[in-house]
Amino acid sequence: MKKFLQQLREDSWVLPYLRKNKKLLVLVIFLGFMTVFCGTALMFTSGYLISRSAQHPTNVLLVYVPIVLTRAFGIGRPTFRYVERLTSHNWVLKLVSNLRRKLYQSLESTTMTIRQKYQTGDVLAVLADDIDHIENLYLRTIFPIIIGWLLYLAVGIFIGTYNWLVGILMLVLFGCITILVPIISLIFNGVRMQNERKLQQKFYTELTDTVLGLSDWVIANRQKDLIAKQDILINQQSHLKRINHHFDWWRDFIIQLIVVLIVIGMLWFTSLEFGSNVKTVNWIAAFVLAIFPLIDAFKAISEGLAEVPIHHNSLVRMNSYQNSNSNINDIPNEVIPQNLKIDIKNVSYTYPVNTEATFKNLNLVIPMGSKIAVLGPSGAGKTTLLNMILGDLNPQLGSITLGGENISKWQTKRSTIFAVLDQRPYLFNTTILNNIRLGNLGATDEQVKAAIAAVGLKEMVEALPNGYLTIMTEGGQRFSGGEQQRFALARILLQDTPIIILDEPTVSLDPITENSVLETVFKLFKDKTIIWVTHHLIGINHVDQVVFLNDGKIEMHGQPNDLYRTNQKFKQLLDLDRGLIK
Amino acid sequence: MIDRRLFKLPGIRKTLGMLVVFTILQAFSVLFQGKYLSESIVTLWQQRSLNEAFMVIGLFVVAFVTRHLLTVVKNYTIGNWVEQTTIQLRHDLLVKFGMLGPAPLQDKGTGNLVTLSLEGMDKVQNYFMLVLIKMCDMMIIPWILLVYLGTVDWQEAIFLFVIYPVVIIFMIILGYAAQAKADKEYMNFVRLSNHFVDALRGLPTLKQLGLSKRYAENIYDVSEDYRKSVLSTLKIGILSTFTLDFFTTLSIAVVAVFLGLSLINGHIQLLPALIMLVLAPEYFMPLRNFANDYHATLDGKNALTDVLEILERPTIENGSETKVPSWQQDSTLEITNLTVAYEKNVQPALNIPYLKLGGYQKIGIIGKSGSGKSTLLNLLGGLLSANIVKAQTIKVNGTTINSLQTALWQKQLQYIPQKPYIFHASLADNIAFYYPKAGKQAVAEAIKLAGLFDWVATLPQGMETLIGEGGQSVSGGQAQRIALARAFLTPNRHVLLFDEPTAHLDIETEVALKETMLPLFEDKLVLFATHRLHWINQMDYILVIKDGKIVEQGTPAQLNNKKGELN
Repeated sequence: MKKFLQQLREDSWVLPYLRKNKKLLVLVIFLGFMTVFCGTALMFTSGYLISRSAQHPTNVLLVYVPIVLTRAFGIGRPTFRYVERLTSHNWVLKLVSNLRRKLYQSLESTTMTIRQKYQTGDVLAVLADDIDHIENLYLRTIFPIIIGWLLYLAVGIFIGTYNWLVGILMLVLFGCITILVPIISLIFNGVRMQNERKLQQKFYTELTDTVLGLSDWVIANRQKDLIAKQDILINQQSHLKRINHHFDWWRDFIIQLIVVLIVIGMLWFTSLEFGSNVKTVNWIAAFVLAIFPLIDAFKAISEGLAEVPIHHNSLVRMNSYQNSNSNINDIPNEVIPQNLKIDIKNVSYTYPVNTEATFKNLNLVIPMGSKIAVLGPSGAGKTTLLNMILGDLNPQLGSITLGGENISKWQTKRSTIFAVLDQRPYLFNTTILNNIRLGNLGATDEQVKAAIAAVGLKEMVEALPNGYLTIMTEGGQRFSGGEQQRFALARILLQDTPIIILDEPTVSLDPITENSVLETVFKLFKDKTIIWVTHHLIGINHVDQVVFLNDGKIEMHGQPNDLYRTNQKFKQLLDLDRGLIK
Repeated sequence: MIDRRLFKLPGIRKTLGMLVVFTILQAFSVLFQGKYLSESIVTLWQQRSLNEAFMVIGLFVVAFVTRHLLTVVKNYTIGNWVEQTTIQLRHDLLVKFGMLGPAPLQDKGTGNLVTLSLEGMDKVQNYFMLVLIKMCDMMIIPWILLVYLGTVDWQEAIFLFVIYPVVIIFMIILGYAAQAKADKEYMNFVRLSNHFVDALRGLPTLKQLGLSKRYAENIYDVSEDYRKSVLSTLKIGILSTFTLDFFTTLSIAVVAVFLGLSLINGHIQLLPALIMLVLAPEYFMPLRNFANDYHATLDGKNALTDVLEILERPTIENGSETKVPSWQQDSTLEITNLTVAYEKNVQPALNIPYLKLGGYQKIGIIGKSGSGKSTLLNLLGGLLSANIVKAQTIKVNGTTINSLQTALWQKQLQYIPQKPYIFHASLADNIAFYYPKAGKQAVAEAIKLAGLFDWVATLPQGMETLIGEGGQSVSGGQAQRIALARAFLTPNRHVLLFDEPTAHLDIETEVALKETMLPLFEDKLVLFATHRLHWINQMDYILVIKDGKIVEQGTPAQLNNKKGELN
């Protein structure tokens, strides 16, 4: 609880919006309050109404007011509830729109242009879920608690006006339901949820082992071991769940015992206060019957607080994504020079978490219009090199210049200088036409179609039932890997930049498709600078220079033909790749 | 809302029987609670002292406490059964996973299977817990109360009786209206709600295109569109809750007003009127509770359907396993007229009229991605279930066997995929996965043979270091070496299946790995699917696969001369 409050205080996700939309928030709470108020008042006036009627008043007009009120509250409760639910959903969804934008912006400022290899989409899905949690934090925890506590105070004050001692007694009794029990269940739940989370995590890991490693389990014929292992966890989990259920059941029972005390207290109080006078005895039924609708609203407090530990995690995670807007020197009117030679001089770079330098004194010149292939084992720094050329990472020592100017100068114009094709270019869930047009938002339909034709997809697309208006499913999954790469190529073609960066674009393709994609790339971009990171040697003859990175240094460097003649290792690798040696 | 299959689960009848008995008892305690509360109020209303009301108040307390104790008892009754049943279902699900193997489960997606066994089963548990108690309550409590109310004041009771179906009918009508509206907007709905994740996943691409900053406004706009469309559906959607609410509260108000009027006219007395008023909300309570949890039960029902669907998938019966001779120098495997079709009426993924493998051949399998290489390897690995594989005959050493999906065949295999799975366990346990009884010495030997020795030396706890998810990270090349170490540890598995083991590795790692791999090929039948043509030199027979068919086969020399698909 303390941690949660602490988190809430430092939180930059939820509180600012609470402050910003005060009016709407007050409205939601007012409506929620009125819903419970009407429900309670309905029983209150009904109780009074029939008690008073039973005294056979001489005229119906004498009970006219309670009759009208009874009807009004009867209609008021569902109406307020309806409006309250619409308003609170509206409020929360508005909040969600803002949170999504904010989350997007935070992620945007930290994303590298060249994808880190192991970043999976699942992390992102988790973040998207967190926003849903924040939604529930409001609808199921914050709103019911505020409304419940307001009612609690109102009830205490109302009874206090008749008799302040009884008012305090009722505050104490009701307080058990609205404060004591919720806090006990929160503490209990906090500990339990921690245990449950640990177990859940273990369960999750084991299940992933089961499902992803299933062919190993089957071929090793160890299904029995697998099940025995899981059965232990299943039983542990049920045990925790059982404890949890038992707690909830007995908690609800205890609340009901308190309710009995409240009813007895109320009977005692009303008989003392009103029982001696014919005029006031009618209030007895009113007060006693009004207790029951209140209890339902109070019970929601316990349930809402019990969910706090779940929301807490989401809040922590969201807060760990802060806006860290790097200030980019904006030079809007600078003309991009004609000769975009890339010059890497004495560059060193060490990742903050590593002790070993990724680069030590790296020197490399990439003339305008040249084609260069970068090779090296994974971890040799190929991705880091690309991120530095693009300006996402700044070298700690040395400099990288583009056309004689420091690379950081061009950040705002970057998309007019560099185009990137990586392992899995993303295709968005919209039409083919829209996807390709992302390369240049001003392109006409004709230009887009021409680009699609240039990458050799015209026939395929036109044969689709919806042609160019076909919706790409998420990530472009309906198309094969080669087709996805070609769509991305068309996008880059429209982008029409002088420098093209290829980050292992063919890693998931078979050699025949790989060859034809590479042919297309080098034909379409024959006048442009191409920086191509690759992990094997197919198509290596398209380039003018080959660079082998290893251990933060350039291990081999030269024209492919020269290297083949002079460098034993390169010759061996290339021959092997072509299947010339055994 | 309630699944018929629920009633076929073991032990349900006894549990339901007990539940019904407790619910009837509870209905009576609700009844007495209302009766004695009203009597207490009336006693005080008659200006008698609290002492005179002592007896009825006491009875009220007893009835009230009994009622809530019975709630706990009901929960315990159902809770035990639900717990046993979900444990059993989870267990059965895992057993089924083990029997089916990976390929038939592929259509579900790995992420889905994990969530189904975790959150999905939690939902099922919740569903069992909610649906039985609430159904029972709804079918018993209102009617016992209604009969009693009929004896108290038959006119009001008739009003309550008539309003009940009216409420339900309205709820259903509005529910349908909301459903129709939701259906109409569903596509829109899905697109908009997925849009956010779509944008997050595509962030690097947006950044490459220089659009990422501008896109933030788009996120907001789409999200606002989503809000509007959700609200317009909600307006109708929560109308059904509104009607339920409206009718139940209004009928309480109506009852109160009518009672008041007939009291004034002297038709009835306060006590019956008060009982009526107190029990009217209780009469509607089960219906309201049921409606409130409707969505939770719907989720649970869908999860249950998914679980049962998997449990009902066919597997080969135990006991029909045929003896499979162990693989040796002179062994043969003959397959005739085999087809593999993942779905009916779709072109088969694999179609082999005749295939014969023998002895310790080294067979390369070549073809484009999607041509059927992996299907062939899955078939030979016995990972495809019987209902998708149709074969005229499968013979090992001339003995006909029903299927390759049998432990006796599989225990002769070692299967090494593109990305070998690394378990969340120590390196030693990972290597000894196929032979858990292996001694430390043997594992250390396998580590040496697989070329992992230098790497293991750098690990904090050597071969006892935890690897896999959440442990020490393992590169693609190391993962392959771990798979090789598994194979070195089990030399008596004489059939090796490789599915593009080097596709994701850089050329230098591949070269180094190849040197380690070749000694393993000795005295083994090797099937090696690859894109990388240099492996052909190590093969003595090649199968070229295209569109699920073997289009060419022969020794590398024969194929080179033919100038076919290979070149």
